[in-house]
Amino acid sequence: MKPIDLNEMGAIGAIAQEAEGKWGMVIDQDLCTGCQACVAACSMENNIAFVGEEDASYGRSLQWIRIERFWEGEYPEVKMTPFQPMLCQHCHNAPCEPVCPVFAAVHSPAEDLNLQVYNRCVGTRYCANNCPYQVRVFNWRDYERPEPLNNQFNPDVTVRRRGIMEKCTFCLQRIHRAEDLAKAEGREVRDGEFTTACAQACPADAIIFGRLDDPESRVNQLSKPDRGYQMLEELGTVPRITYFKEG
Amino acid sequence: MIKNIFGWLFSPLGRIALLIGGLTVLSLAVWGISLTQASPEQPIQFPHNRHVNFGIQCLYCHPGASRGPVAGLPTQTKCWGCHQQMQITETSELLKPLVQAVENNEPIQWVPVAIVPDFVQFNHRPHIAAGVNCEDCHGDMTQVTIAENPQVFNMGWCLNCHKEHSVDNPELRTKLLDCGTCHY
Ligand code: HEC
Ligand code: HEC
Ligand code: HEC
Ligand code: HEC
Ligand code: HEC
Repeated sequence: MKPIDLNEMGAIGAIAQEAEGKWGMVIDQDLCTGCQACVAACSMENNIAFVGEEDASYGRSLQWIRIERFWEGEYPEVKMTPFQPMLCQHCHNAPCEPVCPVFAAVHSPAEDLNLQVYNRCVGTRYCANNCPYQVRVFNWRDYERPEPLNNQFNPDVTVRRRGIMEKCTFCLQRIHRAEDLAKAEGREVRDGEFTTACAQACPADAIIFGRLDDPESRVNQLSKPDRGYQMLEELGTVPRITYFKEG
Repeated sequence: MIKNIFGWLFSPLGRIALLIGGLTVLSLAVWGISLTQASPEQPIQFPHNRHVNFGIQCLYCHPGASRGPVAGLPTQTKCWGCHQQMQITETSELLKPLVQAVENNEPIQWVPVAIVPDFVQFNHRPHIAAGVNCEDCHGDMTQVTIAENPQVFNMGWCLNCHKEHSVDNPELRTKLLDCGTCHY
């Protein structure tokens, strides 16, 4: 965990840190059709268990990305807000990190991402309670994958046990694979060389993933117009995901 | 009643009983530990030492090590390339399973011994590229008959070497000690 520096917290820090970061994402809500392809792709890529009807009705669904939609106004004059894919925002100042008593929710200094070290996690669920985006999910049971479902496990991703908190990793396994390949070929990772499972599956190209530290990258090019905003910006968490609406 | 038992335990007969009991527990423990240390039963009693001493390169049989995460264990085709032409293949008891596998076109089910838990993501390629030798992690295979695991792959062992290799490179050190490098 990084030491707490008050200059990095709140609005001052938010401005200072805005341009930095390594990996980032842009989500265009005007393009999103709410088709849930990203949700399915994410589950496949990351060995996310299907909890079944009963647990889902308790609100124990395991999803690292979900499509949110809210009502605006009073019934019957309600207006639907645009679809809002919600996943871990990979905050620079993540509220989940300082509350973990065993340092399982840590910040990766090398990739500037929020990590969840599954084998370190003891399941106190403090992090989930402290997450303003509610994107952390908990394994309430060992969910079975009967034959032949076990054959579709991704070998690059840990299969989580019961009692462990999990969340979006920005497809860290893909980041590592791309970095490894780039290193083998003696170059830097190129923007757009690889992408996360959700961005790859999105038929409308509403989710774009890439390098924040490369000014030429698609993510940075798209971020320029003034219609982008960040979720719950006022909390000063410095998210790595920018949303677009009504552009 | 309890006092009686204690009294009896200190009598000569009781002491012998205690001794026998103690020895049983000890030998069971030793036997249990030896079970965990023994190399597992392999489908073919493959002698590493003889093959390595002929000068066959590790990468000939484990070619994945220089390319990606998994070193890979050889299939019968690789063995057959040499053993097809060799006299010993027809006579040797040890090679019967190999001949059978080739005839029936069945894969050889090697039992893995060098493994890290599921929550650790190991990758051979960067290590080989950085000039770390197979021996540094797997021991001297010229001495080994059936592969066993001389090295416990625990986290301290990984991190110690990562620290040594990044003394004068803070950026690499951050990368090599980052939880996200090995756990995801
Ligand atoms: C002729 C082919 C051949 C060569 C050469 C060879 N190996 Fe192997 N190796 C095998 C086979 C077959 C196995 C599986 C059987 C076993 O575990 O004993 C194996 C298993 C291993 C294992 C255990 C892996 C596991 O989890 O089962 C290690 C480690 C290993 N080899 C390292 C080496 C190293 C280091 C060298 C070079 C010094 C080397 N090997 C050379 C064929 C070879
Ligand atoms: C580069 C050629 C080569 C390859 C590849 C090779 N071997 Fe061999 N193998 C030999 C030679 C040479 C001997 C030694 C014969 C001798 O000692 O006379 C031998 C001996 C053996 C023996 C001992 C036989 C005995 O009765 O003593 C076994 C078992 C064996 N090999 C299994 C394998 C297996 C299994 C593979 C595939 C993983 C394999 N070998 C791949 C060349 C090879
Ligand atoms: C930095 C230490 C290290 C070095 C160097 C290394 N290995 Fe490994 N090796 C490991 C670890 C750790 C595992 C267990 C990997 C796993 O379970 O995913 C392993 C597994 C293996 C296996 C069995 C599983 C597999 O990946 O197929 C073989 C075979 C193997 N190594 C061969 C080699 C050979 C050949 C070399 C040299 C070219 C080599 N290793 C160099 C650490 C090392
Ligand atoms: C004998 C020394 C040694 C041991 C033991 C060792 N490593 Fe490494 N490791 C290295 C070196 C050297 C590098 C490459 C650094 C570089 O890129 O220059 C490396 C790189 C790596 C990388 C790639 C980092 C990147 O740049 O993406 C991973 C992952 C890794 N090691 C995992 C492990 C794991 C897991 C273990 C324990 C099972 C382990 N290592 C044990 C020396 C070692
Ligand atoms: C170089 C690779 C590497 C890095 C970096 C690393 N670990 Fe590990 N870790 C391992 C390996 C290998 C094991 C497996 C040890 C074993 O099998 O006994 C392990 C095991 C663990 C365990 C024990 C789990 C268990 O059930 O036995 C915990 C907890 C853990 N790591 C937490 C962390 C945390 C927290 C960090 C970041 C500060 C971290 N690790 C960084 C390689 C690494």
